[in-house]
Amino acid sequence: MNFPILSFLIFFPLAGAFLFIFIHRDKHNLLRFLALGIALITFIFSLSLYFNFNAQTPDPQFVEKAAWIGYGIQYHVGIDGISLFLVILTTFLMPIVLLSSWTHIQKRIKEYLIFMLLLETGIIGVFVSLNLFLFYVFWEAMLIPMYFLIGIWGGKRRIYATFKFVLFTMLGSLLMLVAIFFLYSMYYKATGTYSFNLFDYHNLILNPNIQIWLFLAFALAFAIKVPMFPFHTWLPDAHVEAPTAVSVILAAVLLKMGAYGFLRFAIPLFPNAVMKFLPYLAVLCLIGIIYGGLMALIQKDIKSLVAYSSVSHMGLIMLAVFALNFEAVEGAIYQMINHGLSTGALFLIVGILYERSHTRLIKDYGGVSKQMPVFSAFFLICLLSSVGLPGLNGFVGEVLCLFGVFKANKLLAILGVSTVILAAGYLLWMFQRVMQGPIKNEKILSFKDINKRELCYLLPIVIMIFWMGIYPKPFLRKMDTSVSHLLDRVNKKTVYFTEAQKDNDLPLIIEEELIQEKNDEKEEKPI
Amino acid sequence: MNSFLALLPLLIIFSASLLVLILEVFVKKENKNYLAYISLLSLAACGFICVMFWNKAYSYFSGNLLLDNLSLFLIFLLALATGFVILLSMKYISLQDTNYGEFYALLLLAFSGVIIMVSSSDILVIFLGLEVLSISSYALAALRRKDEKSSEAAIKYFLLGSFATAFLIYGLALLWGSTLSTNISSIIQYFESEASLSLMALIGLGLVTIGFGFKIALVPFHMWTPDVYQGAPTPVTAFFSVIPKAAGFTILLRIFYPYWKVALDSQAIFWLLWILSVLTMVVGNLLALRQTNLKRILAYSSIAHAGYLLVAILAQDASSLVFYLTVYLFMNIGAFAAVIALSKKDKEYLELEDYAGIGFKYPWIGATFSIFLLSLAGLPPTGGFLAKFFVFSAAVKQDLVPLVIIGVLASLISVFYYLRIIVYMYMREPSREVEIHMENPALFLVLFLCLYGVFQLGLFPRNVLILIEQAVRSLPFL
Repeated sequence: MNFPILSFLIFFPLAGAFLFIFIHRDKHNLLRFLALGIALITFIFSLSLYFNFNAQTPDPQFVEKAAWIGYGIQYHVGIDGISLFLVILTTFLMPIVLLSSWTHIQKRIKEYLIFMLLLETGIIGVFVSLNLFLFYVFWEAMLIPMYFLIGIWGGKRRIYATFKFVLFTMLGSLLMLVAIFFLYSMYYKATGTYSFNLFDYHNLILNPNIQIWLFLAFALAFAIKVPMFPFHTWLPDAHVEAPTAVSVILAAVLLKMGAYGFLRFAIPLFPNAVMKFLPYLAVLCLIGIIYGGLMALIQKDIKSLVAYSSVSHMGLIMLAVFALNFEAVEGAIYQMINHGLSTGALFLIVGILYERSHTRLIKDYGGVSKQMPVFSAFFLICLLSSVGLPGLNGFVGEVLCLFGVFKANKLLAILGVSTVILAAGYLLWMFQRVMQGPIKNEKILSFKDINKRELCYLLPIVIMIFWMGIYPKPFLRKMDTSVSHLLDRVNKKTVYFTEAQKDNDLPLIIEEELIQEKNDEKEEKPI
Repeated sequence: MNSFLALLPLLIIFSASLLVLILEVFVKKENKNYLAYISLLSLAACGFICVMFWNKAYSYFSGNLLLDNLSLFLIFLLALATGFVILLSMKYISLQDTNYGEFYALLLLAFSGVIIMVSSSDILVIFLGLEVLSISSYALAALRRKDEKSSEAAIKYFLLGSFATAFLIYGLALLWGSTLSTNISSIIQYFESEASLSLMALIGLGLVTIGFGFKIALVPFHMWTPDVYQGAPTPVTAFFSVIPKAAGFTILLRIFYPYWKVALDSQAIFWLLWILSVLTMVVGNLLALRQTNLKRILAYSSIAHAGYLLVAILAQDASSLVFYLTVYLFMNIGAFAAVIALSKKDKEYLELEDYAGIGFKYPWIGATFSIFLLSLAGLPPTGGFLAKFFVFSAAVKQDLVPLVIIGVLASLISVFYYLRIIVYMYMREPSREVEIHMENPALFLVLFLCLYGVFQLGLFPRNVLILIEQAVRSLPFL
């Protein structure tokens, strides 16, 4: 394909944001429609990724590579089966959240829309970068629009929340940067050439002791982003204070970056260290699952309830990632998309309620479904999808995850199932208190059912929830090759490492020839 | 090549300085801007000469004044910075009652000192340049004669400056005593020999380092910085924060770059610099957290940046140091330009509280200031990120991993106070009445040029990097 589709996806929203500078700030509707149009065009173009994606090859596709700064810093983007759906999820949700904030955001619309479009650029950039420098640039640059979005349009404690979010994330990512430098200098010392290319680093054999430190640095950055227990404390604050649209993006896409980072960088680059830390990481995930679920049970604020449910759900996803077998990893990726859809939808729903009553406390509600029957149905579907009801998307993902975890470790799987039970508990209980029972609050009597605009953005999500629950094949088959390639790398490499390290104290050697030999000896299929 | 041409930049700037001083008497008060134009013209001529002399390596005074590519690059850069400062002060000096013609003359004089510093290879000549720079700087700090703070700044600067000079001279004497030379390359050569293991030369080198440490404001020799920065007229503060620092680091680079390669035992000096660097990064950033005055925040931030620059010295990487200086020029002068923009007749807005709501009231100033602050904090895609990136990656390559970890954590602290300014600008409701004088095209020109610089260096620095590579090739041992 000649059209640089990925660059288009990255830079089209950026160009749009730039255009906004020249539009007068009082033309609210023009600004809104323009932003929506930009997001929709981006989405439509991103669909062509899906249709032109070749599921047979594990290599990155739609690759664009260009010289940039030198010293190994290149513009290098591409996607494989792991990142494909995350990109589409981002572009899919962006028009939806812009619609959802149509009336909710009343002040400083121009700046708001500019930052939303910049955010989209940053997120897509993170998912498609194959050069570690480029990846880091997007990873950090994305913080800037988030910082402003939470800080300007957030709730009462927005400044505290936005600081906490930025500083937590940067703490992790700066240490990751040091680790990236380390890899960079290792590669230079081994080969005499500079490179930040991810695939070049795959050829490095690193001393397992060094790997441990590098892995820890990467893992910290990603674990904060996921967030894994005990690095999750920024999440409830950020979620509660952020405006609806930003919460949706945060839950649906930003958290996925952490999991994606593990799959794309931390695990394939440092397989030995991963093996060493697997038990600890799994325990952290498990604590996250149970702790998040229990915390969600006792929340008084609907939004922070959904936020803690994210901690719990992401715990399961990470547990599946660390199970490192085919079902689990595929389930984890599938569940990432599910979680993006269903939790995103739940945040939208909380936003709809909030716009009507300006409160998020559960005790202020009750009996809403009498006033808003259509809304109630949507709420229930999204909620059940999050719980994992068979026939809806959450079920497929959770079952795959749990199967995989079961294969790896039975005890973990048994404990991990508690995520489903807890989710059913806190979500249904919340639904009962908010939507059913007698109407206690007089304000609720004036609630109107959802309007066309709100229907417009909930409907696509609900359709996807059903589709992915009933017929997941078109999604799963696109991932197969990439996932099995990833697992091949992890498992096979362990062998080389142990062999190569026996009498080798040097930090690294290049293994390409070694791989070739081994392949010729043992296996037929090329790596 | 030995040629009288080597003196050309120095002569141009020096004579322009004298010309401005003479004309000041004859020019009417409302025409004082002509003095600025003359100064700008001389700086432009100086920059043009730098371009023309590229790769020529003219020298004079038996090599004591050498225009190699490194000095040309830095002279060009600092001429640009001085030009920015003059543009910033054109309106400022009439608004803030500093309307003295000697302002430009002193700036040019200080700059001529810088030219001597960066283009010399003899420590005694460097000292000469340093004194020209320093004495003009003391006078510049005191220019707001009716302001107590300004006089305080000048006195403090003068006393501590003399103190530093004493260190420097003492160190020089010790170095001369052991090496019998004041030329940098012969001093360095001395460290190749066994004799260098004696204590005298080592102490001499350490004292020289400390002397420059005062000038570039390394912790614990930084005490004067916040007060001087706060008291001096703001454009002068911008000048102080960039130009002497850049010159000082150039000297350190010229001394230590060869030193690391040849010295038999560089451990003592290495650890001295290591500790200074850590202290500067950590203390500078920590102290900035508690400040509420913008000029003081920027003062402490400039201290912290000296720490990062010192990492580049320790990493033995000349090009990342020069690149950092280049980026630092744009982002720091840009930030000061935004601070200067928030002023009116006889009133400067310098407290954090004044900045509440500025971002939406004056969108251009708010947006550009935010970008400079994000760049100072080292967030991509700005030049500040790339500068830190190169410095720290070079340091990791030299196995200075603990230093780098301390450095990135220190810069995490810095993120807090830079972002706090943005919080005030965008996330607080205005609590005070702020009216500013907007008719200042020269200032906005600087603001946008710096903005351009920050993004150009952050996104497409390729050409500048190639120039820097050529420049640092004039250092020995590359």
